[in-house]
Amino acid sequence: MADIERLISLGMSRRAFVRLAGAAAALPIMGGLLAACGGDDDDSSDADSGGSGSGGEATSGTGTGDATADTGGGAPTAGGELIVGLDSEPPTLDPHTSPSAVSFMITCSVAETLTYLTADRELKPWLAESWEASADGTSYTFKLREDVTFQDGSPFNAESIKGNFDRIIDPNFQAGSALASLAGYTGTDTPDEFTAVVNFEEAYAPFLTYTAGGPLGIVSMKAVEELGDDFATKIVTTGQFKVESYTAKDNVSLVRWEDYNRQAPWAESEGPALLDRIVFKFIPESSTRVTTVETGETQLITGVPAQDLARLEDNDDLSVEKKLWSGIPRILILNTSMEPTDDVNVRKAVSLAIDRQALVDTVFAGIGEVSSGMLTRAMMDDESLSQPYDPEQAKQLLEEAGWTGDGTREKDGKKLSFVLNVVDPGSGPPPEAQLIQANLNDVGFDCQIKAQARAPWYEDNYNLATNGPLMFLRSGDYDGLYAMFHSSLIGKNFNFAGLADPEIDAMLEQGRTETDQAARRALYLEICQKLADMAIAAPLVDEYAVWAGKKEVQGLMFNGYTYPQFGMVSVQS
Amino acid sequence: MGRFLIQRLLSTIPVVLGVSIAVFAMLHLVPGDPIQMMLGEFQTSPEQVEKLKAQLYLDRPLPEQYLRFVTNAAQGDLGYSIRSKRPVMDEIRDNLPSTLVLTLAGLAIAVVIGMTLGIVAAVKQNTWADLAAMIMAMLGVSMPSFWLGLLLIFGFSLKFNWFPATGGGDFKHLVLPAVTLGLGASAIIARLTRSTMLEVLRQEYITTARAKGLRNSVVIIRHALRNAMIPTITILGLQFGQLLAGTVVIETVFGRPGIGRLIVAAILEKDFPLVQGIVLFIALAYVLINLFVDVLYAVLDPRIRLG
Repeated sequence: MADIERLISLGMSRRAFVRLAGAAAALPIMGGLLAACGGDDDDSSDADSGGSGSGGEATSGTGTGDATADTGGGAPTAGGELIVGLDSEPPTLDPHTSPSAVSFMITCSVAETLTYLTADRELKPWLAESWEASADGTSYTFKLREDVTFQDGSPFNAESIKGNFDRIIDPNFQAGSALASLAGYTGTDTPDEFTAVVNFEEAYAPFLTYTAGGPLGIVSMKAVEELGDDFATKIVTTGQFKVESYTAKDNVSLVRWEDYNRQAPWAESEGPALLDRIVFKFIPESSTRVTTVETGETQLITGVPAQDLARLEDNDDLSVEKKLWSGIPRILILNTSMEPTDDVNVRKAVSLAIDRQALVDTVFAGIGEVSSGMLTRAMMDDESLSQPYDPEQAKQLLEEAGWTGDGTREKDGKKLSFVLNVVDPGSGPPPEAQLIQANLNDVGFDCQIKAQARAPWYEDNYNLATNGPLMFLRSGDYDGLYAMFHSSLIGKNFNFAGLADPEIDAMLEQGRTETDQAARRALYLEICQKLADMAIAAPLVDEYAVWAGKKEVQGLMFNGYTYPQFGMVSVQS
Repeated sequence: MGRFLIQRLLSTIPVVLGVSIAVFAMLHLVPGDPIQMMLGEFQTSPEQVEKLKAQLYLDRPLPEQYLRFVTNAAQGDLGYSIRSKRPVMDEIRDNLPSTLVLTLAGLAIAVVIGMTLGIVAAVKQNTWADLAAMIMAMLGVSMPSFWLGLLLIFGFSLKFNWFPATGGGDFKHLVLPAVTLGLGASAIIARLTRSTMLEVLRQEYITTARAKGLRNSVVIIRHALRNAMIPTITILGLQFGQLLAGTVVIETVFGRPGIGRLIVAAILEKDFPLVQGIVLFIALAYVLINLFVDVLYAVLDPRIRLG
């Protein structure tokens, strides 16, 4: 302002001054945005996806072991209110349109699904009492419960399933993650009132896992028609909680549905949930969010940033819950179609050169662990997959591959260069990129970080124009590997390795026909081992979903997709 | 006066057109395919991509795209949000009241604190009070609002538990964000009030008033402040625009609903129609406030109309 006073004193007319002040006043808009993006991005569950997002199931995961937030004494009592701080506002509550993890953190307690996936990856009956896959894996028959009604009183039956699934694949409907859950869906037959036969073009075994996922939550078609666009914030379902009110940019409030008459898959007895009400507040700024759980303004929060984690863990009033996300971990994909990563020895050297423990100790301190394979430990925990850190062996492999010299290695006069493709969400490239760059340069690479906005990041990946993107993919089923490594998806989402290997293709296709869970696991373990042998990618870090809550909050459970289940939660006073 | 008004109205037309071109160009200046960017995390079929292209008229020649954009916007149709599927106008309408309340509250705080500090500093020029007031003003200007906001949350929510840290709604939720917003603006008002007051206090009519034996408070409030108010009123209009912009940060820090939150979320979610709509709306609001200030200024000071 001193400047303005000076301008006035210099004889600038008042109107000119008014204009100048106007121009100056416009600046905070831009400055403010940058700060807000930077501050918001490192902890927002779906916004910083390093380019991931969708895939099998854009934003679903699988956790380890059911657990409660706290195991302190006291029998659970009904009643009370729980206030939960989320890191962003869901784009919609409609499970069929949302691509966003934060939607499912809410809707998993509202909408029910055909099956329920436990944290131990076991499918249990929910809206379906039993189910059966046809021998060829293209058709799935569900026997539905007959005692279910929607919260608006409309009946639940096979037509509801048909209506829901037809809605998702309707080309005039913009589906979110749900669309991938129904890949190749041709229709639902309803031979009788409580039997639904879901058909696919080709074998699609992952569908069974996806029937338990948030995106295929079953909603009242009557409400869909009656509410129109308002349905996005007033979903009507069959679940234990109903949407009471939705205040944009502030909160969504759920109330217990008193007429819930069944035993939920996680519950010990029949009947409605314990809590009277759950209020989800949207608090994007992480420091503010953390403060609210300390003051008691919220009793539970998600998206705890690494720098605040230790403080919350030291707080005697709070307990911190960490659950591994499932799917493909933070991973460095290696482009097999471009020099020098077209050479398997170079790819192996890359993987050997990266110090994963250092990543976990610094950038991912407390919010991740060293990754072992192409799938996170939540899905595939097998020691045979572990990836060693051995820079000496990396150097040796490079020597054998003909890359020699001190400093940056060369071969036939060409430098050993590596272009690392990362998303810059507006706040700079992710810090792990610099660590990886240093690791690679230590063994003789000339690693360049190509930090760019998301759209060109994707374009480079479709064109296989860099040596590899840094990314992750949340997926509730092993089939996430299909999206990553099947040759039909080169130039699309997400075969960014440019891998066209007939054997891998065949195995990934077989995985879609195999409906026996044990056989599937064995098959995908073999796929993971093969991919590791070929060094198609360097898996880095398995990340946690982190929740911090007051110790009074008890009974919090997580489903197999790492989403919270609030049916058994109580607040001890 | 009528001629002045018409002149000023006409002169906003190029500004509005310029703004509309800039907002329209946003979509085309981002690197990469805008459709790809918007649909990044959605699973989409080619039909949906085509549909979205058609919906945004991206399949038409550029001039036609622009014409449609402007014609629709002029009729209050800013298109649909990609994420929420709701009309952009509805999104703005729902979020506007909360932002206006915050802005007005911030402005009120800025005026009360800023003018008090400014008057004290001018009247007690070159004393410790002047120094203290100007140091406060300096701090207010220098301190980034997100930092001040976090400090207030730390103090008044975490330590004393007087006010909630987040949310919209009643008066209690308004206090911390409004103070954060108002303090920054108060500094500017304080400095301006001080300098114009100093100017006025040296005028002969003030000496005359004093010579007549009027009480000091009457001289300052009735004679000096009234005349010193004119530039301050001008800056108030502009501050209003600035405060509106400041809510972008404040609303995010305090988890408060409003236009600021809306645009931050829209940017992070690559919801282009929504971003375009809000930017256009804020820019137009700014132009209107500017116009209003110019007119008000002309009313207050007849010499302006001749200029």
